[in-house]
Amino acid sequence: MTEPINIRLLGPGTRIVLDDGAVAEIVSNPLDGVWVFARFLSSPDDAARVGSEEMIFAQDIVEIGEAS
Amino acid sequence: MTTARKEGYRPGLVDMAAARISREIFVNEEIYREELEKLFTRVWLFVGHESQIPKPGDYFVSGMGEESVLLCRDRASKVHVFLNSCRHRGMKVCRYDEGNTPVFTCPYHGWSYGTDGKLVGVPYFREAYHEELDKSQWGLIEVPQLCLYKGTVWACWDPTAPPFLEYLGDFDRYLDLLLDGWDGSEGGTEILGGIQKWRIPCNWKFPAENFCGDSYHNISHRSVDLVGIGPSGSGRRDMQERLMARRLQVSFYERGHQTGVYLLPKDRPTPPSYQHSSVVSEYFAHCEEERRRKRGELARLIGSPGEIFPNTALHPRQPRTIAVWHPRGVHETEVWRWYLVDKSAPAEVKDFLRDYYIRYSGPGGMTEQDDMENWNYAHAASRGTIARRYPYSYEQGLGFEVENYEWQGLRIPGTVMDITEAKSSEHNLRNLYRRWTEFMEAESWDELATWRVARAAE
Repeated sequence: MTEPINIRLLGPGTRIVLDDGAVAEIVSNPLDGVWVFARFLSSPDDAARVGSEEMIFAQDIVEIGEAS
Repeated sequence: MTTARKEGYRPGLVDMAAARISREIFVNEEIYREELEKLFTRVWLFVGHESQIPKPGDYFVSGMGEESVLLCRDRASKVHVFLNSCRHRGMKVCRYDEGNTPVFTCPYHGWSYGTDGKLVGVPYFREAYHEELDKSQWGLIEVPQLCLYKGTVWACWDPTAPPFLEYLGDFDRYLDLLLDGWDGSEGGTEILGGIQKWRIPCNWKFPAENFCGDSYHNISHRSVDLVGIGPSGSGRRDMQERLMARRLQVSFYERGHQTGVYLLPKDRPTPPSYQHSSVVSEYFAHCEEERRRKRGELARLIGSPGEIFPNTALHPRQPRTIAVWHPRGVHETEVWRWYLVDKSAPAEVKDFLRDYYIRYSGPGGMTEQDDMENWNYAHAASRGTIARRYPYSYEQGLGFEVENYEWQGLRIPGTVMDITEAKSSEHNLRNLYRRWTEFMEAESWDELATWRVARAAE
C-alpha cells in the first residue's frame, strides 16, 4: 500500500497518477483534503475521459507526477 | 377564533383571558419538543445578512431552531440556505463559522456539494455505485422559502407559510426603523464586524418576551444607568425623547410581532443625541434632518425594542442590533447578536458605535449582563416541583388596548397600548404568548393565516 498523499499541498498544475493508471492535472484545489478538481491527460481504461475535468477523490490518487 | 379562548394550548397552560401562563411552557421537555415541530418548522426565521456573504462562494453557518444551516452565495451569486447535514449519513458538511469555498465536503465519507447545493462529488461513484446513484436526488436540503429584505436574509421550512412580506404585514415599518439608514435611505445599513454568540441557561422565551417591549424591568438596569454608559455620557442610552413623545407598545395580534415605539409630536425636532462626540452627534443630527425630509410624518417614529415572531429581536436605535434566541434544549438559549451601522457612515462614527455597542450589549455588555442574570435565575427557580405549580402573571394593562390609535395626525397600525402615563404594560408580552399558543394548537397555516380569511370574507 502506498503512503497517503496530503492533497491539501497540491496546487494547480500538479500532475497526479490515479489508481487505475490515469494521469490528470490539477485545475483547482478546494483544500478540503478530500477532493481536487483535475483534467484528465490520459486514461488507459476510458479514453473518453481525456480532456474532461472531474473531481478526483483523495484515495484514488496514488502518486504525484511532475508539475507541467 | 383561537385568541378568544379562555384556555389556550392545553388547559391551564396559557390562559389569555386571565393573563396567566404556566411555568411549564418554559421548563417542560415535552412542550419544548412540540415547539420545535410546531413553531420553528413553520415560522420565518432570521438567518443572516447579505453583507456577510458579498462574494460568490461566501458562506456563513447559521441556525434555524436547533438545526445548523448554511447561508451561502453560489457561483452565480444566488443566495441559498441549506441544512448543514450530508444526505449520506448526516454529518455536518461545514464546521467553520464562515468563509469562502467552491464546495462543501462531508468529512465522513467524502460526499461533496457545490455552493448551489448540488451533489457533485461521490467517492467511488464509478466503482461502488456503478454510476447508478442519481446525484440530482441527493443534493443538500434547501429551505423552500427564502426572502432577502433590505440586506437581511430570512428563511422558512414550511412551503405553505405566507411569503415573508405577508408574514410581516404592516410591521415592516418597524423593521425598517432598524434596517434603513439613519438618514432614511432604504436598506442603508450593514453588519459591523462579526457577530457575538453566547449561551444562557434559560428557556429561549425568557429573552424573547423581554425584547417584546418589557419596560417593567428597567429597574434591573439601574446600576448601568448610574454608571452612565450612554453615548452622551449619562444613562445607558439617549432618552430625551421620553420627555415629549408618546410612548407606545404596538402588537400585531394576527402576526405575533410586537414592538415599543416613541411617537414624537408633530413639527418638533428629534432631541440631540450622541453628545459624547461632536463628529457623531453632528452626523446623527444631519441624518435626522434627512430622515424627516425623506420620510415625512413617518419620521416621527423612533424605534424601541421589539420582536418578530417568534425569536428575532429588534433593537433599532441605541444600540442598533438584531438578535436571535436560538433554542438549545428547553433549559438553554444560544444568543446570536448582529450589530448594524449605516453603510455610508464615516469610519469615526462606526468606531464610536462599535465601542458603545460592545459596552451595552453582548456577553460583556453591561446592560445585557443584567438581563442574563435575571433570565438565568428566573428559569432555574421555575424548574422545581413546587415552583411549577404557580403561574406567572401577565395582567399589566389588560383591557386597556386601543385599536386605530392616532396622535396628532399619525395613525399607528396594530393594537396599541399608550404607556406614556401608565409607564409600563405587558400588552406586547401577551401578544407573544397569544401567537405562540395559536401555533401550538394549529394543524396548518390555513388556521394561522387568519387575515386571509378576513380578507376573503370582505
